[in-house]
This record gives sequence, C-alpha cells and structure tokens, in this order.
Amino acid sequence: MSALARYARIWLASIRYSLVRAMMFRGDFIMWALVELFWMSVNVLLVGIIYSHTDSIAGWSQYQMLLLVGTTLLVQRLLMAFFWSNLFEMGRNVRSGHFDFFLAQPGSPLFMVSTRKFDLDGFINVPVAIAIVVYAAKQLGLEPTTGQLAAYALFILCGLALHYATLLAIISMVFWLQSAKGIEGGYFGLTEFSRLPREALRGVANVVFVYLLPVIIVSNVPARVLIHGFEPIYAAWMVGATLLWLAIAIRIFHAGLRRYASASS
Amino acid sequence: MSALAKYRQVFLTGIQTNLVYRWNFALRAAFSLLHLVYVFILWGAAYQGQTEIGGFPLSATLTYFTLLLVLQFFLSAANDDYEISEEIRNGLINQFLTKPINYLGYRLSLYFSARFIMGGLSLLPVLLALPLLWPHLALPGEEHLPLYLVAIPALLLSALIQFTIAYCFGLLTFWFLEIQSFVILSLAVEAVLGGQVFPLDLMPGWLYELSRWLPYYYQMYFPAALLTGRITDFGLALQGLAIQAGWTVLLLGIAQLLWRRGLRRHTAVGG
Repeated sequence: MSALARYARIWLASIRYSLVRAMMFRGDFIMWALVELFWMSVNVLLVGIIYSHTDSIAGWSQYQMLLLVGTTLLVQRLLMAFFWSNLFEMGRNVRSGHFDFFLAQPGSPLFMVSTRKFDLDGFINVPVAIAIVVYAAKQLGLEPTTGQLAAYALFILCGLALHYATLLAIISMVFWLQSAKGIEGGYFGLTEFSRLPREALRGVANVVFVYLLPVIIVSNVPARVLIHGFEPIYAAWMVGATLLWLAIAIRIFHAGLRRYASASS
Repeated sequence: MSALAKYRQVFLTGIQTNLVYRWNFALRAAFSLLHLVYVFILWGAAYQGQTEIGGFPLSATLTYFTLLLVLQFFLSAANDDYEISEEIRNGLINQFLTKPINYLGYRLSLYFSARFIMGGLSLLPVLLALPLLWPHLALPGEEHLPLYLVAIPALLLSALIQFTIAYCFGLLTFWFLEIQSFVILSLAVEAVLGGQVFPLDLMPGWLYELSRWLPYYYQMYFPAALLTGRITDFGLALQGLAIQAGWTVLLLGIAQLLWRRGLRRHTAVGG
C-alpha cells in the first residue's frame, strides 16, 4: 500500500508541476485548448452534416451517434490529458537516448515514462465532451440510473486504459524500428474507428475491429450502457479486453526495454 | 549557373533527402489506407436505405475520398512550415541572405521534391488496394472531359496555395517562438473547409457558397471536385479557377511581405 501511495504522490507532484508550467505559458495553453476544442467541433459537425442527409447510420439515430462521438471524445481528452505527451515523447526519447533519464529514476520505468507530464489543455476540454454526452442523452430523453452512470464511468476508465494500451503498444515499436516518426499515425488511424457504431461493421472489418482489436468496444460499450441499460456480457467483454490489452502492451514495452541500448553522441 | 539550374539542384537534393525517409512515408501511406477503410464503412452505413446523398451515389462519394487521399500526399505541405520555422530559429536562413538564391524559390523546390517522392510512394499501397477499391469507385463519363482540362491548372495552383500557406506559417517564427498551435488550428480549419471531413457540397447552401470564396476550398477540394464530377458546370469551374488564381497571387504577396517585415526583426548571430 505504501508503494501505491508513493506512486500516487509522485503522480500528483508531476501534475502540480505541469499545472505550474501551463500557467507560465498561458498563451500557449489557451491556443492548444482552442485547437482541441475546434477538432472536437469538427467531429460534431460531421455528425450534423451526415444526418442532414440521412436519418440513421447503421440503425443509430442522430443523437445516439452524437452520444457515441461524445463518448469517444471524452476518452480521447482523458488520454490527451494524462498520457499522450508522455508516450509520444517516449518514442523520441528512445531514439535520442534521453530515455536513460527515466531508467535512472527510482521507480517503475513504465510508470515514470507514462506520468511525467499532465496536459491541462486536454483536460480542460473534458467538461466539453461530457456536455456533448449530456446534451445527446437529454435529446434522447434518457434518464440513466445511478448504476448506469457508475457503469458508464467504469467503462470510460476501461476505455482510457484501452487507448493507453493501444498507444503504448504502438509507440513501443520504436525499440525495434529506431525511429518513431509517423508511427503514432497508426494510433490515430485505429482510434478513428471508435466513432463508428458497431452495427456498421460487416465481414472482415467486423472480425478485425470489433473482435481482434479493441477499437470499437472502447466507445460502443459505454454508449450502449446509457442507451440500452446494463448488459453483463458487454461489461465482462469490456473489463476482460482492458486487462488483456494492458497485459499485452506492458509485455511489448518490457520486451522492448530489454532491447534498449541507450544512445551516445 | 543559370537561375533555373540552381533550383533544379535543390530539387534533386530534396529528392535524395526524402528518399532516406521512404519507409516512414510508406508507413504513413499505409496508415492512411486505414482512414479510407473508416471512410468507406461510415459512408457505406450512411447510404444504407438510400441511393443518393446530396445528389451523389455512394460510388461518387467513395471515389471523392479515395482521390482526396492520393491528392493529400501529392499536394499537402506536410512538414514545410516546421522546417522553415526550424531554419529561422537555428539561424540557417542567414546563408540565404548572403547568397544569390531566393529563399521562397529554394523552399518551393524542396516542396516539389518532397511531394514527388511522397506522392509516388503513396500510390504503392493505393495501387495494391485498388482491386478491392475498384468495384466501389466510379469516374464521370466522357462528357466531363473539359472539366478535366480545368483540373490540370487547378492542381498546380492548389500546390502553390498549399505551399504558400505553409510558407507563411513558417515565417511567423520571426514573431512567435512556437508556431505549432497555429499550424494545427489551420489544419483543423483546412480539414473542414478544404473538404477532407466531408464533401463541401453537403454543407448548407449558404455555407458552401461562402467556402467557395475562401482559400481552403482551393487547397484540395476544388481539383478533387473537378476530377470526380462534383462540379459539372464549366462556367463555375472557370470562375473557380479565376478565384483560385487570385488567392495564389494574394498569398504569394503576403508571403513576400512577411519575409521582408520578418527579416527586419531577424538578428543573425554567430560566426
């Protein structure tokens, strides 16, 4: 327990340091928060444009789709706030040798690498994503129970863990490739699918993106719990997939770590 | 050395530099196919139960997005803004102030070389996927030929607009230390008003009309719409070409102005 408390203290200290830093560069912070807000609006706009020409996408109505997109944005904002910069920079640091710095710290390298920075500009847009979900739920006339809301919160955390695992597995390829330039594009390519309703996927795409990769369930399962209520099979799937993918990603990271030979200049 | 030979040499050097990153480019092109799969699934589902959206069948919309993917690699000034920013910050531009070479010409040559390699490499995964894509695509018929002819100068002007906007953003480094947020904000605007998220003609009429007067429309949407039959009126196509030419001249003027003003603020140090 004391080890857990120690890690929690380190994480909190990192967050505090990042907040102070964000306030030192306020202009930058405001600009980045606006950039993220704009990108979020683009996603909402796409839903609006498509539904101005059609009534349903794979059986999902406009506000059901908005709820799905809002859920995806919520998970993504959380990832951006807590982990994105850290893992993105890991790719660069492994190449440059700056990764040594994390290995020299007294703690798990994975924890140190993952929690060094906290991005306030990502976090500040979390309420906006929640507002989109709440607005869509209101339009759908949903009145979720406390249990549904608790399950939604749990699935959002699972979603965050799944995104983290996906990104970690992709960025860890840098240990083999030597250059991470462009590989984060793989993450963005995959997470795009989380804005799709599961019912839209057929055949091979269904097998790959629903069953093999966790990119559809990450948003569909939380959205479903608000729209259709708690379904134990989906809950088991979500939690199981989260544990499995975290285990896979951490294994890849550690396998890569064993290959790391530092760099000198 | 004649003026043209100088820039030819820059172009050739650019080709060599870009070839070093061929695997990164190929990887990016492969990832963008993933985006195409997403687009096909999304629009395929949106078309379920109806034959047309905005007056176009599914095949026309999928052809539009496929072409856009290829054009992105041939036209997008992917990294030029950051490279220019880096050259200003590191003082590398100092050498251009004393040598008989125009910085804009130098960067433009590098832009064309990067697009040449990246565009070429992006075709590989698309060609490999073509047997799967082909049944879903449809090109406009022979009567569309005059519009293809308008598309040729439109493509060239699009390249110039793409480059000049990136060049201007790069030059902002004379005033701001960090330009990344400007660039990403501009990319987001471009994604919407340049037609990358959805074909612009699906927007409400007044918004589409407004977008026709903005430079983003001419960065990629205009030639793509000409080539995929989304613009069929020859008169409108010519009018578009005239607006595009106007924006190109205006943006080049702004670039020149930023360069002159920026140099006044610039301090070259070191020895």
